[in-house]
Amino acid sequence: MIHLGLSCHILGSVAENPGTNDPSTADLAANAPRYRRKSSTFIDGIHDVPEDADRAPAQLYSTMSGRLFHSGRIAIVMVGLPARGKTHISVSMARYLQWLGVKTRIFHLGDYRRATVGQGGDVPEDYFYPNASPASVVLRQKILKKCREDIYAWLNHENGQVAIYDAVNPTASGRRSLAKEFAKHDVQTLFLESYVDDEKLLRENARNVKISSPDFAEMDPDEAAKLYLRRIETKIPTFETMNEKELNYIKMINAGEKFFYNNISFNYLSHRIVFYLTNTHIKTRATYFVRAGPATEDESYKADAPLSGEGVKYSQLMAETLIKHREQERDSLIANGGQKVPLRPLSVWCSTRARTLQTADAFKDRGFKVRQRSQMSQINPGVCERLSERAIRRLYPDEVEKHELDPYHHRYPRAESYHDLAVRLEPIILELEREQNDLVIIAHESVLRVLYAYLMHCSTMDIPKLKFPRNEIIEIIPAAYQNEAKRIHIPGLDPRTVPSSPEDIRIPVPDSRSDTPGPLPGGGLPPAAETFDKPPEKVVNTAAEAVMDKITDVD
Amino acid sequence: MSPRTNGRGVQVEDTKICVVMVGLPARGKSFIAQKAQRYLTWLSINAKTFNVGNYRRNDAPQPPADFFDTTNAEGERRRRAAAEAAIADMLGWFRQGGVIGIFDATNSTKERRKWVMDVCTREGIEVLFVESKCDDEEMIMANIRDVKLTSPDYKGQDPEKAALDFRNRIKHYEKVYKSIDEDGDENDYTYLKIMDVGKQVIINHIRDYLQSRVVYYLMNLHIRPRSVWLSRHGESLYNLYGRIGGDAELSPRGVQYAKKLPELVRQSVGGDRPLTVWTSTLKRTISTAKYLPETYNQLQWKALDELDAGVCDGMTYQEIKDVYPEDFQARDEDKYNYRYRGGESYRDVVIRLEPIIMELERSEDILIVTHQAILRCIYAYFMKKDQSRSPWMNVPLHCLIKLTPRAYGTEEERYQADIPAVSTWRGKGSTAKHEDPIPEAGMAH
Repeated sequence: MIHLGLSCHILGSVAENPGTNDPSTADLAANAPRYRRKSSTFIDGIHDVPEDADRAPAQLYSTMSGRLFHSGRIAIVMVGLPARGKTHISVSMARYLQWLGVKTRIFHLGDYRRATVGQGGDVPEDYFYPNASPASVVLRQKILKKCREDIYAWLNHENGQVAIYDAVNPTASGRRSLAKEFAKHDVQTLFLESYVDDEKLLRENARNVKISSPDFAEMDPDEAAKLYLRRIETKIPTFETMNEKELNYIKMINAGEKFFYNNISFNYLSHRIVFYLTNTHIKTRATYFVRAGPATEDESYKADAPLSGEGVKYSQLMAETLIKHREQERDSLIANGGQKVPLRPLSVWCSTRARTLQTADAFKDRGFKVRQRSQMSQINPGVCERLSERAIRRLYPDEVEKHELDPYHHRYPRAESYHDLAVRLEPIILELEREQNDLVIIAHESVLRVLYAYLMHCSTMDIPKLKFPRNEIIEIIPAAYQNEAKRIHIPGLDPRTVPSSPEDIRIPVPDSRSDTPGPLPGGGLPPAAETFDKPPEKVVNTAAEAVMDKITDVD
Repeated sequence: MSPRTNGRGVQVEDTKICVVMVGLPARGKSFIAQKAQRYLTWLSINAKTFNVGNYRRNDAPQPPADFFDTTNAEGERRRRAAAEAAIADMLGWFRQGGVIGIFDATNSTKERRKWVMDVCTREGIEVLFVESKCDDEEMIMANIRDVKLTSPDYKGQDPEKAALDFRNRIKHYEKVYKSIDEDGDENDYTYLKIMDVGKQVIINHIRDYLQSRVVYYLMNLHIRPRSVWLSRHGESLYNLYGRIGGDAELSPRGVQYAKKLPELVRQSVGGDRPLTVWTSTLKRTISTAKYLPETYNQLQWKALDELDAGVCDGMTYQEIKDVYPEDFQARDEDKYNYRYRGGESYRDVVIRLEPIIMELERSEDILIVTHQAILRCIYAYFMKKDQSRSPWMNVPLHCLIKLTPRAYGTEEERYQADIPAVSTWRGKGSTAKHEDPIPEAGMAH
């Protein structure tokens, strides 16, 4: 897995040196450092170019054109100075829209600039100035043109619906002409400005994202943040906040404290975006995914049986491991010079099914508050309940054939598909975004798959195959550019309790390795045997490496 | 911070919100309030509106415009008393488990808002101000004509004079009116300000999911005229055998209904205007919609599938009573909350229908072909039926229902296909079989 992550990174750096032969813009975009054609499910796939973009997790319905909500093609244009969290907003919004089934892609102008000026190169000092030198203006226009051409190509020829254009867009006149230009291409424009006038927030942002650069080494973090913000001011001297009455815009003030919303012709999609954004925040917190323990009548969905003796043991071990892990993390943070802050509070969510509720008791007994969510109950197996894979193949050969073609959307008779499950989980996703505490989610594997897929943006072909063996707790930490997944090993479990849940739908997957305890979410990974012999205590995602070159970035 | 913390962060179940309406008279505040209340109640969130005007009317039934003049000390005192009485009742209601109270009054001054804020904060209740601000004279007059002149304040008066009086009443409010956070010193309040019917909106300081949910819902409302048509599928083979659930095809009489549906719809729409059709993913609804014109766009929603009866799927009521006698009785006692073993309850169905309602609110003309339990839930949303009764409503087969939302409620019309079908209704606590509905149990009581 680490191997895959690294290769992605290498691929990225190759693409940053376009070489002497000027590659076509489409190649540039596809190979831009942020885009990968394919990647592991272990890495947040939000920046991947999907192989099959028609299949999105929670698509309620699609129209003939493949575009949702009867909306046409839309450009969401970001507005705001650097260090205002534009990238974070773009990425979260893309995550949510893609989850809803809207074909969305982010175009970070910075990627194009870096691809044009090359690795290690820098733009001229007057690049952002209104009275820049002719050479700078030409460079700027060249970069802008490439990026826009790719946006149109994607909307026109790849049936994209929403293009998120992540750039500073500092002037009113520039935004007006941009809206006009998009209108000419029959694309509606919605501007989304991130406006921050809270000094404290600005400095925090600058400190978290930007100042790990060598330029600021050994400086007091506060001083460094101030210096960085001053640099932005000199680099981009003119910035006009949005006040264009004739444009559709959302102004997000101080990271979501306030929204101002100028609505000329938009309705549903922009409401939806605002609804989503009112629930997001950028504070760091962890989400832990945990399986429910095994139950007495594991093979029956309808029985809703209580935990078995093994299940009770599992729940205790799991809770102990998690609590110990959190304390260790905090101790090591303090040991490394971190501040002596108390542990973030921990909330526990489980479904209304008996075994998740009883697994949650391990936390409840330790004084944590547990919330039951009926939406989080497992996927309904319908006619497949209690049937072996062989029996399903014998009884429903046509269904099996359909299922193998599209395991995400296909539903067996009287059963739910993963897609049905995703739709039902939407309120949970929003509450998950809003949650400020650390959060433990105890649920059936099918529910974990869908929630994990939202946070790590997995392809729909992979979702039904993701694996969550009981001896691992998955920890997800959100970050601006992409989320990170870690796993925490639970030692000392009876190996019989580890494998994928036997009460699960026995979906015949082509590669039926399902009885071996795979490592992490499995799809697209090398054969499990390579990695699962001795699962490491912890594997850290390499997401941070992938954004190293973002450090000195001013977009 | 809310006092309702337990040292581990605020718990959402504990949230209590007072939605405080703000705005001059005739700005659609009561429309918003009643919509929000209906939506929340339907989601099983205990919500209630406290309209200060109703309290004032007890004391001053038909006051002249100068009653509302702020320099009229007597009027001022009595209006204040009405607000205090409404708040006192609301706080009492919160103490008994209320979750979202809607305080419907003009609340047009900073002092009044601060007072509401302080009173609620002391009780650990969050406050969400919702202001409707509108300067479009034509819209205001339309609102006065449609809504205000039918108000008890003007009962039996000359409409021209009444309208003039109402304009004067508004003028008195305008003298002291301050839009929320107009001066920037109400920056800490959580508020939604809707200007010119949604052309501009400000959302400030949303503090939890429930607040964002209310705000999102209010942003999806529109006031363009439209109707929603509801129909059950035609009689199915399972209906004939008295079996519940399943995925059976239509009976011959059911097919007859499917063939007649296009004509019924045309008659009810009053023209050839195409509708959008939503069906479930089950055969009997898709077959029922089969003969509708091709100009009708059709969409299948899993969320419109019939209530899942779990282990009882495919059984008759008699079989259920024989095999699961306790369950049969438990369902009769609390049908809304009873969850079939391995299946769903009405409450579960409402949760999965929520995105459908949101889509419905923002859409225009829609025809929904679905199932008995699902129709009961959708109908309950529009007609504000409470949970103890909605699962027992009789929604007959082979009948098209047209619902048209109006400012203060929903109008209903029914179109009978006159094609016989079995009854699929069973009364509470009665024998374990389908029977002919008794009149009071029907929807048209």
